Amino acid sequence: MSELKTTLAGYVTYRGREGHWSFLLHRITGLGVVLFLTIHIIDIAFVYFNPVLFMKAIEIYRSTLFGVGEIFLVFCVFYHGVNGLRIAYLDLFKPQGWHIESQRRSVRWTLVIALVLWLPSAFWMLRNLLIHNYGLFGG
Amino acid sequence: MEVRVRVFRFNPEIDRRPRYDVFTVEAEPMDRVLDLLEYIRGDIDGTLSFRRSCGHGICGSDAMRINGRNMLACKALVKNFETNEITVEPLLGLRVLKDLIVDMEPFFEHYRSVLPYLINDEPLPEDGRERLQSPAERERFDDTTKCILCAACTTSCPSFWADGHYVGPAAIVNAHRFIFDSRDRAAAQRLEILNQQMGVWRCRTAFNCTEACPREIKVTQAIAEVKRAIQTGRLD
Repeated sequence: MSELKTTLAGYVTYRGREGHWSFLLHRITGLGVVLFLTIHIIDIAFVYFNPVLFMKAIEIYRSTLFGVGEIFLVFCVFYHGVNGLRIAYLDLFKPQGWHIESQRRSVRWTLVIALVLWLPSAFWMLRNLLIHNYGLFGG
Repeated sequence: MEVRVRVFRFNPEIDRRPRYDVFTVEAEPMDRVLDLLEYIRGDIDGTLSFRRSCGHGICGSDAMRINGRNMLACKALVKNFETNEITVEPLLGLRVLKDLIVDMEPFFEHYRSVLPYLINDEPLPEDGRERLQSPAERERFDDTTKCILCAACTTSCPSFWADGHYVGPAAIVNAHRFIFDSRDRAAAQRLEILNQQMGVWRCRTAFNCTEACPREIKVTQAIAEVKRAIQTGRLD
């Protein structure tokens, strides 16, 4: 079995606990952030190379699809950041924190903190989307 | 109680691809998965292959994936599963030789690569007997002496699945056992080995290793301690 196949099989079928899910979510959110950064670098480059294309890109970003995508992007940034801090803190300063109970607890708290940070911004972004794209709330 | 046991089957000499055979067996709640496998091999299908030796969680021969998690078949009781269906598969990331038997050689190669033995060329103490250490010095690496080399940790690690060259949690645990031993003199050598690309820095702290260890070794903590020793050069 190739390593890629083994990896994907492990990701999907291995019944790990909080650590496994946290690992997967960290990867997925990391990919989300990288995707955003790539698109962002390309569109900002348009300002210099092709301003018309830049305006076209801004127009696309105002679509509902991109609006919803941006809301999830903010979650990616928050989760990846908070989880990264958790891992760095435990690995660099508190190795004894890598203990089954405290690790499970810290994973759950990481998700809670990321959600608490994300929900207010998600609310405002969704509200703006509904105002500008659907004319709701007096828009 | 009746238990349906789904067993991964693959004989590379005959089969083109793996399959799952289902055996329905009578079991007691306190039976171990190893008992079910022994019953299947002894009474139903003598071609089923798996490793076992002591049957008491010490030899580390019968590590396998049971209902999706790595564990020792001799320590997995039927009553501890929420369902009457038990799926038994070989460890992930190592080549399947037959059914539940995997090729452990790459795993042992990684183990040997970290010099898992006491290195001390200094002259023996004057009495010519043992090199003494205090209870506190012995306690420092006590947890990592418990490893039985079953490979449950290494084959539950996503980094090892992605790249079999990664030295893996078990090898790091066994390096830790000697790195923090006050009698040993080769810590720097081991830290250099583990500071390489396929050493400790491949650990992504997914924590599957610690959850899977049948000896309850704090594997991720041991890896973090080795990382810190590499960074600081201190062995405290």
